[in-house]
Amino acid sequence: METPWFAKRPVSAVRPGDHGWLAYTGPAERDRVIGPFLREGLLTDEKVVYVTDLPAERLPGLDPAAGPGIDIAEAVRAGKLRVISQRDACLDRGGTFAPAMMLDTIGREVDEAFGQGYRAVRFTTDYSGLLREAGSDLGRMLGCENRVGDTVSPSTMAMAICQIDRRACPPDQLTALRDTHEVLVEVNPEFDDGVLKIVRTFEPAGLRIEGELDAARHTVLAETLMQVGAQRGSVHLDLSRLGFIDLGGLNLLARHAVRLPADGSLVLDHLRPNVENLITTVGWHRLPGIARGAGRGLPETEDFT
Amino acid sequence: MSDDFTHRVLPYDGVEEFLGGAVPFLRDGLDTGDRVLAVCGTAQQMLLRDALGPDAGAVLFRDAATWYRHPSRTLADCLGDADESSRQGRRLRMLGEPAWASRPPLEVVEWERAEALLNIAIRGTGAAVLCPYAASLPAGVVAAARKTHPETVRGTRTLRNPGFVDPWTFCARCDADPLPPPPSGADTLTLDAHPDLFWLRAWVTDCARPTPLPEEGRQRLLVAVTEVVTNALRHGAPPVVLRMWTDAAGREPALLCEVADAGRWPPGTGYGLLPPRPADGPAGGRFGLWAVRLLCSTVQIRTGEEGTAVRLRLALPRPDLAAIDGG
Repeated sequence: METPWFAKRPVSAVRPGDHGWLAYTGPAERDRVIGPFLREGLLTDEKVVYVTDLPAERLPGLDPAAGPGIDIAEAVRAGKLRVISQRDACLDRGGTFAPAMMLDTIGREVDEAFGQGYRAVRFTTDYSGLLREAGSDLGRMLGCENRVGDTVSPSTMAMAICQIDRRACPPDQLTALRDTHEVLVEVNPEFDDGVLKIVRTFEPAGLRIEGELDAARHTVLAETLMQVGAQRGSVHLDLSRLGFIDLGGLNLLARHAVRLPADGSLVLDHLRPNVENLITTVGWHRLPGIARGAGRGLPETEDFT
Repeated sequence: MSDDFTHRVLPYDGVEEFLGGAVPFLRDGLDTGDRVLAVCGTAQQMLLRDALGPDAGAVLFRDAATWYRHPSRTLADCLGDADESSRQGRRLRMLGEPAWASRPPLEVVEWERAEALLNIAIRGTGAAVLCPYAASLPAGVVAAARKTHPETVRGTRTLRNPGFVDPWTFCARCDADPLPPPPSGADTLTLDAHPDLFWLRAWVTDCARPTPLPEEGRQRLLVAVTEVVTNALRHGAPPVVLRMWTDAAGREPALLCEVADAGRWPPGTGYGLLPPRPADGPAGGRFGLWAVRLLCSTVQIRTGEEGTAVRLRLALPRPDLAAIDGG
């Protein structure tokens, strides 16, 4: 297998030239990525272009509960937020997906934004519906994505996130589509101080804990765990990138595990040998409510860096 | 003595005395339906099997060299076994003869300490433990056995041991001598008030790099040092000073890491000598210092007027054995 060369970036680190990919597991994950992507554009000197049939006020992740209120109507009126229907952006007269039109739309919007003095343009669209309607015409979609990449990547102004619902197509097609992108976009971390990074995961629901965990960062992990714990059932921790955990950290996980509902457990996925050896030394039986999860080391997901 | 457990020493001189004490002990256990465990060397195992005849099949034999590998881990395993047996409504009956020969003095002290602690650890489990001590053992080892076992078995009689010492008093005596000072050339790091332990671990890693400590040992050291330093910063008094050096003298080369601070531990701290009991609950059953003992080959603690020092010792691969492996 060829070594993939994706860059994985939290949404706030997406920058001009990025042709980003977001395969989401549900609205919760999508809104946590697309919301900040739109907001950060609208709150700064950038233009936002959303190809969708949704009305502007119902765009994902823009509800006031998710952050400071944005006057959407004003943004649309000022031309800062462009919501373009699929028919206008990328469908031919027969209603069929037309890649050439999509490229024209992008080119036109970038030129226009440049003329208007915007610093950058953020594009996004959700391909799930188109893919379902286009049925098996994956070739057309792949061709389009390659050309979008060719347009966006050399640009110093344009950045794009292509969204797709993971359930919209079979895994092999999802992989093929993903491979036409250079950047995998994910949620912003809940916490990241350069030593410890905590990222929300959605399927399975839980957290990915990266770096090193010791007493200086117990509180932040405990607080983040409490937020995840509000959901039902088991909570999964992806520990594939956890280089160090101290005994206090293990105590913290044990305390959290026994607070979960009776049918749930704290599942440790992708344990690295150092963490697994530590737990074996202490004894799994001393950690009721903690379960060993899937795999060892790095998971077989799209999470390559 | 409390009748909910027994911990007896069986001093013996020759096969007859060994079997005279061990066989009735094991047979009693089989008759009462106990979980019967015999931990001993190969020669003793053959003797016991021979003497027990067909009953030997009901005894679980364990090799002493494997069982008695690490004082804290063995104590934890033994307690786990006793707890598990009592959960099943049975009692643990164990014949245990540690392999005393060929142990360096530092380790002998820790095994003697484990014998003392067993009296606290197995309270309430109903376990019966009988420890044969050969007359050929060093006099000091046999003398210590009389202090760490409440009772002595002589033939068919059980006698109260007048020399028995309270386990915590015994432990304090084990730690009575001051530690030899660290060598003047030891790597030294004085921590400021709020250090990021991430950098501390980088420093420890750097110091350990020139030594033959394997990766797995380095990971154990990092967890142990982080725990001890976290405690020192939280409960001790500044300055907290870290020192690392290797001790190549003697038969057991080791990497040492000492965490010293100016504070003094309150009496009755426990020193992480006993495993947390499941009954303590996950909050009460913190496995801090106790786990540090499991992670290191030996942990030595001295606390007093002059401050506190926790010395972690990790055995290094022996160059002579490595040469044999490599050749």
